[in-house]
Amino acid sequence: MGVDGIGARVPRKEDKRFITGKGRYTDDMTLPRMGFVAFVRSPYAHAKIQNIDASAAMEMPGVDAVLRGDELVADGIGNLICGWMIHSKDGTPMKMGAWSALATDTVRFVGQAVAMVVADTYAQARDAAEAVMVDWEELPAVTTTAEALAPGAPQIHPECAGNLIYDWEIGDQAATDAAIENAAHVTKIDITNNRLVPNPMEPRAAVADYDGAEEHFTLWTTSQNPHTARLVLSAFYNIAPEHKLRVIAPDVGGGFGSKIYVYPEEVACLWAAKKVGRPVKWVSDRTEAFLTDAHGRDHTTTAELAFDADNRITGFRVNTTANLGAYMSLFSSAVPTYLYATLLSGQYAMPAIYANVKTVYTNTTPVDAYRGAGRPEATYVVERIMEVAARELGLDPIELRRKNFVTEFPHQTPVIMCYDAGDYDASVRAAQDAIDYAGFPARKAEAASRGKLRGIGVSCYIEACGIAPSKAVGSLGAGVGLWESAEVRVNPVGTIEVLTGSHSHGQGHETTFAQLVAERLGVGIDTVQIVHGDTDKVQFGMGTYGSRSGAVGMSAISKALDKVEAKAKKIAAHLMEAAETDIVVEGGAFKVAGTDKQLSMTEVALAAYTAHNLPDGMEPGLKEGAFYDPTNFTFPAGCYICEVEIDPDTGKTEVVNFVAADDFGRIINPMIVEGQVHGGLAQGIGQALLEGCVYDADSGQLTTASFQDYCMPRADDLPSFKVMTTETICPGNPLGIKGCGEAGAIGSPPALINALTDALGTEDLSMPATAEKVWRLAQAARAPMAAE
Amino acid sequence: MDMKGEYRIPAPRQKVWEALNDPQILKACIPGCDSLEKTGENEMAAAVTTKVGPVKAKFKGEVKFENINAPESYTIVGEGKGGVAGFAKGGADVHLADAGEETVLTYEAHAQVGGKLAQLGSRLIDSTARKMADEFFGNFSQSLGGAGAGATSQEVMGEGEHSIAGATADAENAMEDAVRDAEERLEVEAGKGTFGGPMVWGLIGLAVLIVIILIANM
Repeated sequence: MGVDGIGARVPRKEDKRFITGKGRYTDDMTLPRMGFVAFVRSPYAHAKIQNIDASAAMEMPGVDAVLRGDELVADGIGNLICGWMIHSKDGTPMKMGAWSALATDTVRFVGQAVAMVVADTYAQARDAAEAVMVDWEELPAVTTTAEALAPGAPQIHPECAGNLIYDWEIGDQAATDAAIENAAHVTKIDITNNRLVPNPMEPRAAVADYDGAEEHFTLWTTSQNPHTARLVLSAFYNIAPEHKLRVIAPDVGGGFGSKIYVYPEEVACLWAAKKVGRPVKWVSDRTEAFLTDAHGRDHTTTAELAFDADNRITGFRVNTTANLGAYMSLFSSAVPTYLYATLLSGQYAMPAIYANVKTVYTNTTPVDAYRGAGRPEATYVVERIMEVAARELGLDPIELRRKNFVTEFPHQTPVIMCYDAGDYDASVRAAQDAIDYAGFPARKAEAASRGKLRGIGVSCYIEACGIAPSKAVGSLGAGVGLWESAEVRVNPVGTIEVLTGSHSHGQGHETTFAQLVAERLGVGIDTVQIVHGDTDKVQFGMGTYGSRSGAVGMSAISKALDKVEAKAKKIAAHLMEAAETDIVVEGGAFKVAGTDKQLSMTEVALAAYTAHNLPDGMEPGLKEGAFYDPTNFTFPAGCYICEVEIDPDTGKTEVVNFVAADDFGRIINPMIVEGQVHGGLAQGIGQALLEGCVYDADSGQLTTASFQDYCMPRADDLPSFKVMTTETICPGNPLGIKGCGEAGAIGSPPALINALTDALGTEDLSMPATAEKVWRLAQAARAPMAAE
Repeated sequence: MDMKGEYRIPAPRQKVWEALNDPQILKACIPGCDSLEKTGENEMAAAVTTKVGPVKAKFKGEVKFENINAPESYTIVGEGKGGVAGFAKGGADVHLADAGEETVLTYEAHAQVGGKLAQLGSRLIDSTARKMADEFFGNFSQSLGGAGAGATSQEVMGEGEHSIAGATADAENAMEDAVRDAEERLEVEAGKGTFGGPMVWGLIGLAVLIVIILIANM
């Protein structure tokens, strides 16, 4: 490894601009004559729009236009779509309700946009939006899946009778039923995965411009995948053909999945830019983000796990109902199906699995992928039920897991996935040692002497990253392929630009991708520039989500580097009159092995571009592109152990010790990986202890719509994490990478809840385990003691 | 959401009932009341300027009274919508009971709020509204000859939940157009948040509603 190469703990190149306030975000874009947009949003969860009176708003200072949904529809703007087709078990396709970027006759969640104001300033636009008078006819609303599926429930979409979008299944039902019937022991749990708001630091924003002479649109937007956005905006929303639409995702301040999707606001802004004949900007405020950014999770599940007399798993039956909100967001259908139920085997050898998943419309904000996307939900079910089973069976929870671990690879699960490599026991041992698992009883006793309840909880997660083999996901209903592309341009002076279809919004690609180039060519990372996020610069790409950019995006770069290296070697061999096979790349130079002859990268690059002396028939230039389509998912896995201490008088939970031992395959930059794990753990602990959306059941109002009522984790809620890695190389991609972006958020919630339920001596604890819930349980646990 | 509350007023029931029917007394007792008038046989409208934290704003409220059973009880209902603060609707049963020389006023309210009231105001509404209601009943008791401190509120709900009034009325920002009635519940939690913007409009709207509902005549 070179100084800057793979495995080097290199500080992030991009941090200079971020920490000095020099980042360029969508909201930093200013165009001449630009107008500002404010949306008129529904205060009702479900209502008919009787009339929209914009006359007062139009009279207000600076107001240019008030635009409505019927005008948008009349201009041929298409409905928003869900891009992954799921079929119910009876073969019928999912039932997708129409979703116009501006509602025309009915609103189905609080915050849905019904009109937009364009004005000279942001303040004028907001004031005018408040003066747009809408006559509403309120309709009954439902917010939970149970209510929405009940007979007589309000019907949310005419296309979806009974609000059931699909009723999907995977696995072998008969074999699973038989396993449960014949089991020596069955553990059953009912479990809820709470609804979350993603809350990236930068809210969504859009700047749209239309060039009438060229009939060309430009959109700056907070996107994790600008090419997919352009594709969807062109092919489905009829904004403009792809060659007449440029989408730029500049610096983006976090996404966590919520910026994968094309939202109504971006569609409406593009349309409005042409309609009003001026560029427009919209920037979400925080409460708009709470109301309209796609939420995450919201599952209710019943799970049954069967064991034989030797405590080996024989079958796993799971019934899940997932809330997709009022509309089907772009990838919403895939999250509770192929990104969830395919991971229900966990790290364990399970002979039979059957999962039934129902998804349901409710009058709530649409739900889609959020950091982990399906895998946290699966992990929470699997790792909670393993812990409960161990308690019921009177076994150490680690021993029960160890007994059932997959130990031979490749391992085909009953639910599609084929695990390629792993050593689950290695991560368990590492975590056990790091937390001093054996010493826990003594620490618990010591805590008890101080009046505190101490508990320990384990979570052995597995997830699937590196999405995804295009053919496989195509056969499962995906509307796109999930390969990645890259282009490596060596400039005449030998500096290098790497164009990637991945998008960095906090992951540090500008550093790690440059490290790959440094590793391969021996150049310093300061001579490498990573270019991404602009459809005019990068030909195509699928963007960044699902921890795919290392395993898939870097593999594409690696392939392009192969081609660059091969051509550069030919040139070097030609110039030095050596055999091509004798050329080695070392320290940024091309050397003839066994001699002192060498040419620098600059000399070879310059030769490629001057073309004065190239091998016969060789094209000038040194620039190569590659597409990489993965052959399999990758399977990061690990063991998290959490130790908590509860103050029974206040219900305050302190996470006193948290150990994460992850197997991410080969690691490019350990510091960035640790940062990803820390962030993921914070989000997972946030979900477990603090975060949770609350809708008022009667009215469908979101009552947690600001940071005042929605509690995000803060530094003092978190311990100093102990993170470490164990390594098995991923055989599925040329770099051996598995992916690390979501693991922390996937693995940590069950570790927390397992620790809390251990401390409290009850399984009856749901997320978020707020101080109030914990306090009540602590009081109940105390009561019998007091009675004695 | 459902709320309950109770006030003890140091005056006989008939006197309380009459005072509650007197727009002049009510106007004098509602903190910041600019106008209050009967708009119909059993309807009232009020305009109130009030200040919460750094924000001062003007609201309008309208309510109707039903099931009038003088001097014992009535039901108050209202529904409003539109404008900056969102919407609110609800109803409350108000009851006056003799307690020697005093009168005990109790109410049970059910209310729904929406839009910014629900999104931003939830945490701070209860304490703000209660403060205004206490102030109103303090004034009201005083106007009936009692000491200012004579009106005392009691929490009727257990488990640390605060009671609260409900009602209808119309809240409106000075520059805006009607928001009718509203009010709100809420777990009192020492809200860490700061006052500002629409949240405060919401709070004020709710507080006014509460006062109006309680006031409400018969």
